[in-house]
Amino acid sequence: MKISTKLILFFCGVVTLFVLLAVALLAQTRTVSAGYDALLGQQVRQAEAARVIQVSFKKQVQEWKDILLRGHTPDDLTKYTRQFHEQESSVLSGAEALAADMRDAECRDLLNQFVAAHRTLSEKYQAAYDVYVGGNFDFKAADRMVRGKDRPPTDLFDRVVRRLNDDVAASVAAQASAVARARNLALALSGSLLAGLGLAGFVTVRTILQRLGRLKAVSDRLAKADIEGLSVDISGPDEIGQFGDSMKGVHAAIEELTRLASAAGQA
Amino acid sequence: MAAKLNEFYKQAAQEFGLAGRIKLAMLTKISSEKAEAAEDTPENLRIFEQAMQQLRAGGG
Repeated sequence: MKISTKLILFFCGVVTLFVLLAVALLAQTRTVSAGYDALLGQQVRQAEAARVIQVSFKKQVQEWKDILLRGHTPDDLTKYTRQFHEQESSVLSGAEALAADMRDAECRDLLNQFVAAHRTLSEKYQAAYDVYVGGNFDFKAADRMVRGKDRPPTDLFDRVVRRLNDDVAASVAAQASAVARARNLALALSGSLLAGLGLAGFVTVRTILQRLGRLKAVSDRLAKADIEGLSVDISGPDEIGQFGDSMKGVHAAIEELTRLASAAGQA
Repeated sequence: MAAKLNEFYKQAAQEFGLAGRIKLAMLTKISSEKAEAAEDTPENLRIFEQAMQQLRAGGG
């Protein structure tokens, strides 16, 4: 193979390698991006929605306490009752929507339990509210009816939030692990390819330099007309081989000239 | 040994002089001294015939 062909092939090999590496890196980036998009689009969104419902539920309980504390004033009663029902409705619709969207069976089951517990709690709140309003704002009687009743649904929802957060953390860890694996694979592959290409280049250059060295030695001897015992054994299909072939012609011509000169001298 | 190859050298000398012998050696890459020791193989004969044709085409 000609040296020019070898150099072109080597150059093409390097370019191809870098193009392949760029494509692989692009594909890897897309995979990582898609993984995180899926994580953000599903698990993180659900965890965030759960956190919002959790806060709304706490606000609902707070609004109930505001009703008991300040409901003796008609304006405050109207205001806090409305806010209580807003939070109540927000919690219920949010939990039902989250349960419908939930893929994790255990989490969905917990949410359904929470929805049922929340409905029961709403009925108790309504009964206590009726006692409160009908009993001349007797907050003690009303409070006794619902005291501690919000704990079970709160605990249920805390479990939902904890489980979703754990899922997000596990997915992030799995994603990070997958990224690390892909990175190590890319490093190993690119390192191997670069090492292989470097070795091939080194061997090619070393071979060319060795043959050029032999060619130079022949050329030096021909330049000095030192042809005694000279053998031009440089062959091959490349440019060095062609040059060596030409050197054989020069060598033969000098031999012939030397012989003729010697014969002329003897005559 | 190589009577026919030697004959090519004689022909070159006759037709083109000493320069012809030197050019023949250059084209064939086989000097007359080596031609004497070489065999009249078909390959060698083909090389010398081609070289002679080149010499004649170039006017020596």
